[in-house]
Order: sequence, then C-alpha cells, then structure tokens
Amino acid sequence: MDISEMFETYFERLSEVAESEKYKQCLQCGTCGGSCPYGIASPFTPRKMILALRAKLIDEVLESGAQWLCTSCYTCSYRCPSQIPLTDAIIPALRELSLLEGNPPEELAAALMNTARYGNPFRESPRKRDSWVKEVEFEVPLISKKGDVDVLFIPECFGAYHRRCREITKALAELMYLIGIDFAILGNEERCIGDLTRLSGEFGLFEDLMEKNIKTFEKYSFNRIVTHDAHAFNALRREYPKAGFEKDVLHHTQLLYENLDKLKDMFNELDYTVTYHDSCYVGRRNGIFEEPREVIKAIPGVKFVEMKRTRENALCCGGGGGGVWLDSFIRNYLKERPAEDRVKEAASVGANVIVTPCILDVPMFEDALKMTGLEGELVVKDISELVLEAIKG
Amino acid sequence: MKICAILRVVPDLVEDIEINEEELIPFAYIANERDEHAVEEALILKEKAGGTVDVLGVVDEDTAGDIDDALAMAYAKGADNLIKAILSRKTYRRYEVAKALAGFLKDKNYDVIIPGIQAIDAFAGTLGGMLARCMRIPYIGGAIEIEAQDGALSVKKELGGGLLGEYRVSLPAVVGVVSAERPLKFVPFARLKKAMKEAKVEEVDVEVPEVEGVKVTRYYEPPKPEITLLEGEPEEIADKLVEVLREVSVL
Repeated sequence: MDISEMFETYFERLSEVAESEKYKQCLQCGTCGGSCPYGIASPFTPRKMILALRAKLIDEVLESGAQWLCTSCYTCSYRCPSQIPLTDAIIPALRELSLLEGNPPEELAAALMNTARYGNPFRESPRKRDSWVKEVEFEVPLISKKGDVDVLFIPECFGAYHRRCREITKALAELMYLIGIDFAILGNEERCIGDLTRLSGEFGLFEDLMEKNIKTFEKYSFNRIVTHDAHAFNALRREYPKAGFEKDVLHHTQLLYENLDKLKDMFNELDYTVTYHDSCYVGRRNGIFEEPREVIKAIPGVKFVEMKRTRENALCCGGGGGGVWLDSFIRNYLKERPAEDRVKEAASVGANVIVTPCILDVPMFEDALKMTGLEGELVVKDISELVLEAIKG
Repeated sequence: MKICAILRVVPDLVEDIEINEEELIPFAYIANERDEHAVEEALILKEKAGGTVDVLGVVDEDTAGDIDDALAMAYAKGADNLIKAILSRKTYRRYEVAKALAGFLKDKNYDVIIPGIQAIDAFAGTLGGMLARCMRIPYIGGAIEIEAQDGALSVKKELGGGLLGEYRVSLPAVVGVVSAERPLKFVPFARLKKAMKEAKVEEVDVEVPEVEGVKVTRYYEPPKPEITLLEGEPEEIADKLVEVLREVSVL
C-alpha cells in the first residue's frame, strides 16, 4: 500500500467508526501522552500520532510500532479536551493498516486468526466452550433447553477457556445459583463477543462476530445479558446496539449490587484488607464506580482501602485492547508493565487482597505479583470470588 | 519464474478425532502447517525474483471441500492461480501418489515446485523427494530460505545440530520447505472473505492406481500412560520423586 492508499483506507475507516474530522480539533496539548501508561516509552504518543497524520507521515508511525503501544485504557480519550476518539478510532484504524500490511505482532496475529477460525483466541475447540459446567456441583442450564430466562450469562472466551479465569466464571455462576437468579448460558453456541478484535483494528472480524452473535441471541428469549468480562460488557453495551441489538446488558458488579440485600444475609466475616481496582471498561469507560465498592464494604470484617489512582484515574492492568496478546512486543519498549506498577501501588496502601471487576486483570495481576516478588503478600480476586468466599466462610 | 506451491489439508487436532479400526474420522481439516510455509516462501520468492505462484491443493475425494479456505487464504496473500488436484486413491503407497502428481505436473513447465517437507498425518516426508525423482529433477529438503541466482536457486537448508548449509540448485527443482523466512503473513478477515468470493479454483481429477503392497490393518490409540500424582508437603513430594527416579534408574 502506498501512502495515499493508506490515507484513503485510514480515513474511510475513521469515518465509519467515529467523527473523522474530530482529529483536526487536536490542540496538541499533550494531555493524552501524559496520561498514557506507555506515554514515556512510545515513539508516537496520541498527540504525536495526530501531528504525524497532519504531516502525512502515517508510514513513520506504523514503522515505529507505536500503534501497538496502547492498552485501550481510555484515559487519553477520557481526558482529551477536544474529545477526539483516540481509543475507539484513531489508534484501531492505524492498527488496521498494520493488519492490512500483513505484519502485526505475532502473538496478536495468532489470537486474531484463532478467533476467526474457532471463535476464541486460545485455539480451543468451540465444542468445549461450556466444559466448565462439568466442574460445578449445581446445574448450569442451557438456554436452548431451558427456554425463557431472565438472565443470559456470557462467560466470554477468558471465562470459558482460561484456566484461572474459569474459576471466576464458576464462582459467579454459583452466586447466581445461590441468589436464585433465573439464568442460562448459550453453551457451545457462544462465540467471542469481539471487543479486543475491534480495538486491535480487526474491524471485519468484529463485524462478523457481532452479526453471528446477534443472530444467536435472537433465537432465544431472555430479558438481559450478564457478563463478568468487562470488554464483552463494553461491546454488548456500546457497539452491538449499533447493529440493532437492544437488550439490557449488566456487568456482574451491577448484578451483585442489585442483589446486595440478599447477599448481606448470607455474608460471613472476612479478615481482609481489600483494595479495589477500577478496571478501565467498568469504571472509566462505563461509569461503574460505586456498585462494586458498596458490595465489598458490605462484607463484615473487610477493611477497605483506596489506592491513590482510583476511579477515572485508575491505572490500567495492560491487558485491554489486545494488550494481553502484546506482552512480548511491549516488553521491547517498556521495562515495567503497568500491572507491576499497579500491584506495587496496592501493596503500598497496605492491602492484602486486590479485588477486580475485570477478568483480564486477574491473570495480569497474578503475573505481576510473581514479577515484583509480592506473591504471598497480596492475592488477586475477582469480586465474585470475594463475595462467594464471604458466603461460604 | 514459474512457481508452484503444494498445499495439503490435515486433521485439525484442536478438535477430537473419532477413531475405529477401519478409519480415522476427523471433525475438521486444516491446512498443513509446513505447506502454509511453503506457500509463504513461494510468495516471498515471487517478490524477490518476479513471476507467478500457482498453489496446487492436493486432496482426496472426501476432503475436496476442506481445502477451499486455505486456497482462498493463499489467494488473499497474492497467489496467482489456484488448482485443486482431487486424488482418487485407495492405495497407501506414497510413491503412487507422487507418480500421479508428477504426471499432472510434468508438462506445466514450473521452474520450482515447493511442498512443505512433511504433513502431520504422514510423517514420512517423502512427497517432495519422490515427486522430484518421478519428474527426474533435483530435490532439496529442509529449506528455510530460497533465492533466485543466475538462472538457478540458492537454498539455505537446515542441517542437524543447529547448523546451516547453503546449496546451489539448478532449475527446475523441487524444494521442500521447513519454514518460510518470515512469519506467515496475516490476512484480515474482510480480505479473506473477499478472496473466498473472488478466488477461482481449477479442479482436476488425478487418478492414483491401486497397488498392492501396503494396506491398513487397523488404526488405534496408543495405550494411555499411567499417571501417578505425588501428593503431600514439598519435602515429602521431593522424597517420593527421588524414590521414583531411583526405581526407574534415572538416579
């Protein structure tokens, strides 16, 4: 692709996903680069990317690899005084050019190709997606068998296949069972919701996944979707409606908060000092700050401490936007991963448990604990694991 | 340069394979990884030396449809022509397969024919060599880089022990590829879908004569190894492990 073709393709995509003229309003203030977890290491911060776009140096940005140094944490977009869609458009559209050139970072390329073939990035059989249900002692019904339900539960790829994250899925399913929520799963009919493919710039694959998923949803009768995958929550809530999907979508922190009175009656005391990590796509992007805090604080015995960077200013775990597949690539630019910085921050405020609302955080932070030598001092739990522990004692 | 890459499909091991004494029944097929590298290397050679790349998909009658995605992927990456050779075969003698393919390829005037060095469902790795023998042209396997050089090829070949060799190979030739010199090119989904719509595949039937000699007596799974989990405190486990290692004479 020559530079003029690159520009044409780039702005065509930009106009499809956002207001393509918005980038012209960039003040070059640098708030984005100063807010970015990778700002210090990136050869092109978002500010500089826009400057390069204006100077028609798009090829230099792509050659630098800066388009992959983004965890889609949304801090730049949130703080941008001109409200330029950096996370949802400027950067993914640059990434798409790399994909079209055929040379994205290898791990990410494999994850995307696996998602296209198997409906999950792990190269696992789609027919084993619901194999976690065999590991629980209660019934997890299939919506195809149960018929009308209140809640369609979407475990999403990490929740269905990742060994650690399956524990979170099982904990949340057990909570729904204990609370008496009328829920069911799609089982092996479920496939990747696709938010990471979208943010990675694989728009064609995202559209295909969205189309197929909506067709599957339309086969069944349910009132709302619940998921503990923050990115699935984001895509279902913000992107799927653009393709005609109109059901309510709840993050599991919201579901737990909705049922807090019932939960309170079941809680036992826990002797933990807990800090809560505001994950990007629950907090900053979708405004859920109070519900998880209320749930945690309702557990007797728990001492709740805040980290210094909280709520809209929370630091990303580094896993979003395909970041979970870019670890070795990013390592070439940055010595300390954001997750390592974050667990150190949690330790510095005296917490012995980091509670998260996002399934990607758990493996990211557990790896970071090993890297920082904090393993043993701190543990990472999804909020559903903490709540289940409070019930089971 | 007129280049032909050979592409086969093999059972997709992500899915379970049903097995009984008479047959293996894979749930799905996928492009043979070494052949994907062969296609990639063929396209790299085209970039370097100019010319065309034909991709010859080799399938049996019952897997004829399973190679279409892989052929479309090759087309999306820049292959010029797609051919699907449907083998009618009952024989398991690879030589007969190579001979039949050689019969099809002999008057096509390819300068280089590039298969992957082996397929996961036939470890023998004999197709390239036998094909070259049947066509009476040179064969070199284990290639990791191919350059065009003064009307011949310069081929980098992987040797044992981490060593490399560089060979000059006259044309026409068959070159068996281990891996392409760059990672497989990524193809975005939308481009693949477009290729699936646009790609034209020429189908040819290739007769493979039935020859006595080798026949399947049974398929079976090897017995599962016995697994013992050592349990207890780390010190206890270490003691038990030492005991086990002594029993099997490792210590």
